[in-house]
Amino acid sequence: MTLTSISTGGEAAPPPAPATAAGGGPQRRGTRLGPSRARGILARLRPSVLLSFAVVAVVLAWSVAPTLFTSYDPAVGVTADFFQPPSAAHWFGTDHLGRDVYARVVHGTASSVTSALVAVAIGLLVGGFVGLVAGFVGGLVDVVLARFVDVLLAIPSFLLAVVVVSALGFETINAAIATGVSAVAVFARVMRAEVLRTRSSVFVEAAAVLGANRWQVLTRHVLPNASRSVLQLAVLQFGLSILVIAGLAFLGYGDPPPASDWGLLISVGKDYPLAPWLVYAPAIVTVATVLSVNRISRWLRTTD
Amino acid sequence: MAPHDRLTTLLDEPAATALPDVPPVLAVEGLTISYGGTQVVHGVDLAIGRGQSLALIGESGSGKSTIARALLRLLPEGGRADGRAVFEGVDVLALPERRFRPLRGRSIGFVPQDPGASLNPVRTIGAQGLEAAALLDLGSKAERREAVLETLAQVGLDDPRRVAASYPHELSGGMLQRVLIGLAVLPRPALLVADEPTSALDVTIQKRILDLLSDLQADLGNSLLLITHDLAIAAERADALVVLKDGTVHESGATTAVFAAPSSAYARRLHADVPSLNPERYADLRAVGERRHRDADATPARIEVAGLTKTFGRGDDALVAVDDVSFSVPAGTTHALVGESGSGKTTTIRLLVGLETPDGGSVEVAGAPVHQHSRAELREARRHLQLVYQNPFTSLDPLWKVERLVREPLDRYGVGTRAERRDRVREAVASVGLSEELLTRRPAALSGGQRQRVAIARALVLHPDVLVLDEPTSALDVSVQADIVQLLLRLQAERGLTYLFVSHDLALVRQLAHTVSVMRHGKVVESGPVADVFAAPQHDYTRTLLASVPRGAER
Amino acid sequence: MSSTTNRSAARRAYGRYAVRRLAQAVAVVLLAYVFTFLVISVLPGDPVSNVLRDPQNNFSEQEIARIVAYYGLDQPIWVQLVEALSRFVVGDLGVSLRSNLPVSGLLADVLPSTLRLAGAALAVALVLAFAIAFGVRNLPAPLARPLRAFPSLFLSVPNFLIGLVLIQWFSFQLGLFLVIDAESLLATFFAAVALGIPVSAQIAEVLIANLDHEARQEYAAVARSRGLGRARLFTAHLLKPSSLPVVTVVALTVGELLGGSLITETIFGRNGVGNLVQRSVATQDLPVLQAVVALAAVVFVVVNLVADLVYPLLDPRVRLDASPARTKEVSA
Repeated sequence: MTLTSISTGGEAAPPPAPATAAGGGPQRRGTRLGPSRARGILARLRPSVLLSFAVVAVVLAWSVAPTLFTSYDPAVGVTADFFQPPSAAHWFGTDHLGRDVYARVVHGTASSVTSALVAVAIGLLVGGFVGLVAGFVGGLVDVVLARFVDVLLAIPSFLLAVVVVSALGFETINAAIATGVSAVAVFARVMRAEVLRTRSSVFVEAAAVLGANRWQVLTRHVLPNASRSVLQLAVLQFGLSILVIAGLAFLGYGDPPPASDWGLLISVGKDYPLAPWLVYAPAIVTVATVLSVNRISRWLRTTD
Repeated sequence: MAPHDRLTTLLDEPAATALPDVPPVLAVEGLTISYGGTQVVHGVDLAIGRGQSLALIGESGSGKSTIARALLRLLPEGGRADGRAVFEGVDVLALPERRFRPLRGRSIGFVPQDPGASLNPVRTIGAQGLEAAALLDLGSKAERREAVLETLAQVGLDDPRRVAASYPHELSGGMLQRVLIGLAVLPRPALLVADEPTSALDVTIQKRILDLLSDLQADLGNSLLLITHDLAIAAERADALVVLKDGTVHESGATTAVFAAPSSAYARRLHADVPSLNPERYADLRAVGERRHRDADATPARIEVAGLTKTFGRGDDALVAVDDVSFSVPAGTTHALVGESGSGKTTTIRLLVGLETPDGGSVEVAGAPVHQHSRAELREARRHLQLVYQNPFTSLDPLWKVERLVREPLDRYGVGTRAERRDRVREAVASVGLSEELLTRRPAALSGGQRQRVAIARALVLHPDVLVLDEPTSALDVSVQADIVQLLLRLQAERGLTYLFVSHDLALVRQLAHTVSVMRHGKVVESGPVADVFAAPQHDYTRTLLASVPRGAER
Repeated sequence: MSSTTNRSAARRAYGRYAVRRLAQAVAVVLLAYVFTFLVISVLPGDPVSNVLRDPQNNFSEQEIARIVAYYGLDQPIWVQLVEALSRFVVGDLGVSLRSNLPVSGLLADVLPSTLRLAGAALAVALVLAFAIAFGVRNLPAPLARPLRAFPSLFLSVPNFLIGLVLIQWFSFQLGLFLVIDAESLLATFFAAVALGIPVSAQIAEVLIANLDHEARQEYAAVARSRGLGRARLFTAHLLKPSSLPVVTVVALTVGELLGGSLITETIFGRNGVGNLVQRSVATQDLPVLQAVVALAAVVFVVVNLVADLVYPLLDPRVRLDASPARTKEVSA
């Protein structure tokens, strides 16, 4: 018997995907990605996804270097120019003190974005850890942690955020922490479900049969496979946190003026119904940002 | 019939697959199907005579199911069918949906592949049956209900009333397929399209369902388009065959002609790859182990299983999955565990590799007990005892590349230096016939056969003595299966590996195993050398299993 | 196959399940109370003494002593916790530090307004969600495609913004002075729209995803092979399996409704629980906050308990008698 006498993997790679997409034929073939993965993903980037990335990039740039984008001072205005509607000079108009609204939005970005990131980080780390331990250790630990998560879920998250921020004090950073605390339960649930799903998969059992210990199974197989959904959730929660923090700022639980967090700008703007741009400008920026972030999260979900 | 359709007058003689003296009920010409610009079926011609049966044979990706859907005009969004499909004188591809819909069900019935997924899970069988009965133009609801019960009885369901009141999950796969066949024939369609109607079912049930389809065809006089991947089933059940590969017809004609003397290379290969048609295909390779088996008295058994018992659940729910199972496997031979789903064969091997703990009995591999071990000892034992899973689509971590997948066992057991490990990975990959360029791919970029080769390479890289193979080819096409079987036999001949081979496919067992245990309800009902068991089965169940193996044209 | 023994076994299994879920629900409510208590007392600051010692409040020394004794403020935290819990268990929600009135009375005054708002918002959300989902599946593609983006858009809009825009349009543009009688039917409707839109997005997303999923199932194709048209397929086959999981989702959005009412009530000037929370936060009236959180947890838990108990009765696929022994353990 020689090596040459056998056919060497004669079966070709499956034909282009439609056979499976058709639901025809036994569902044997998995989804297929060609060797040039990266090129394929780029090709499938829809315009809406590209636009979303562009919006997020602009917002991040605003928060890192606001002065590059506006020469106006966000805190000091020309009093005579109060309540000017949007124009070439003042893209988003001016407020009751003649301050440039665009400058205020741009300068408020850093605070809004950072606080949302803080919130996501808290939710991701605490919730992710709780879910990971619950799902991987199982048994009594799982039962106890599951009850803890149930409790967090049972308290309406916005109410929880309000209670926490009122206990910590009315500052934007505290609002961020409160938002993060209220997101812990969601992260814990998703992480636990993903860990359980991966842990019960055949390839994890196969790794155990091949000699992997629990730690190796966790770090090499379970965590990488579970993290994908959790990261996608993190992106989604980033958008949501912007909204929650804006809501807290709207109620006056963040930094007081002259800070210019987006939620605060909207809140202050609502008192001047005859200058609607004071509400609409920061509102549109908020909605566009959150919409883009959600779109990216959705795109991450469909890309593997 | 739609006599007003002008296209009918253009229809010339029926294509080759209809028998000459029978007018075709369906004639397909130049059928081309594409999804979003990608053509998957390229100019297929076929014809079915009235009351005749035609089998459309192909492996996965051949486009056979796509053709079935196109004929029913049920292609998913983005699918597009061109060409002509003249059914009872009307080109159904050219009709607007509004005019085609009355034909669906009434004139063309459909039997799907997976009965478990083909009925609405939250509605009763009876409610869904009424939809089929509505096509009969009966007057009252009572009459329609009666028609449903009648058809359920006709397809061999004992208690039609209870079946009608049941939800799908309360019935077995075989019963559900009977229901679906009943609903499909209820409106008395002229043509029944059956898309792999038995591939999700156990062999004994498979035979009964195919018998039912044949009987109904005889009683009702409908034509049958049978889609299947199994040449033996096709040859056994159809008047004419069409062999399809990559969306192109490779061969077609009357069953007797095609089956006896396939003219195309692909049909010949397909014929050669079907285990039941070629029991002695690997006789040479198998003989190596056969000699070892004959010398078995001299060599100690490599696997010794005695009185193995495992019960799941407690009290009323208790299920004895494995009941006093014993067998032994001499070194360098293959022992097959054969049984249908629920026979306990999978639990037996999970016990064997230490994934479950037995309630009673013992397992010894190479003289060392597998259980009553510390974790470290079990780990050491597994080094010589590797498992290849049934489904290579779930047994490989989707995020890992082939190189790392195959290297994993070496890393875990800390074998050799980095360079040595790399060499052993290459050696293992080469020995299963994979090219090195695949090392950097992830499982998603591999075909099913390639994935299973990776799984085997992973199991071999530690140089184990014993491989436990859990239906390693059941998720694969028959031609891929033949390659894998040949690979396994060659490795055994070269390295003296001992295999425990689990399968539901008796024909496959006949091709490669030396000894066999037939399992049913957790018990071994019969065991012995393969030749003896197949030639002179002692147990009724073994006989039933053997009788269920399709053997090709006997008609 | 379902025999009579099997049926009664299933009934027993359901009974066990119901008892277990009930016990869980009670535990969660109590733990939620403890959790809030700890958040409020463990975090830095001593709001209670601040309030009591605030000269504006004019508490006499006797009153202070009485309140300190009532809440056990001179005791260690765990004693306070045990006392608070034992009062909570018998339904005593404490006394407002601000008004010196029982919290339960304060809550009873404002609860109806919030329940009306939340109920109306849920109705708006359900109607909107089903309308969107219906449109997505049944309208021609040029209309259905943009409709698919609606839930995502709704989820990206801060709910206070929707309220502001509604008021701006209807109050100022159309002169429908919503805020004059905040509890009027019309005002409640607009508030419910503001509160319900984000919630409808969550329901619609799940509903659309389910409908898409069910439509891809083999049984849908097989049903069409029996001659069913698209409309019949939607109503007879897809709607039920797609809507059943929505029961659970709707129950989960209760938290959203209660939390969102905080903002909506402020914008629309309604005197509800949200407004009470706002005032209590501003004045650090902790007993009230504690009671509101407990109440919200009770509502959430009860609604979800009902949903979980009803679900197995609605969905024939859910079988509670499945033996748990089949789960595989990975021994590594």
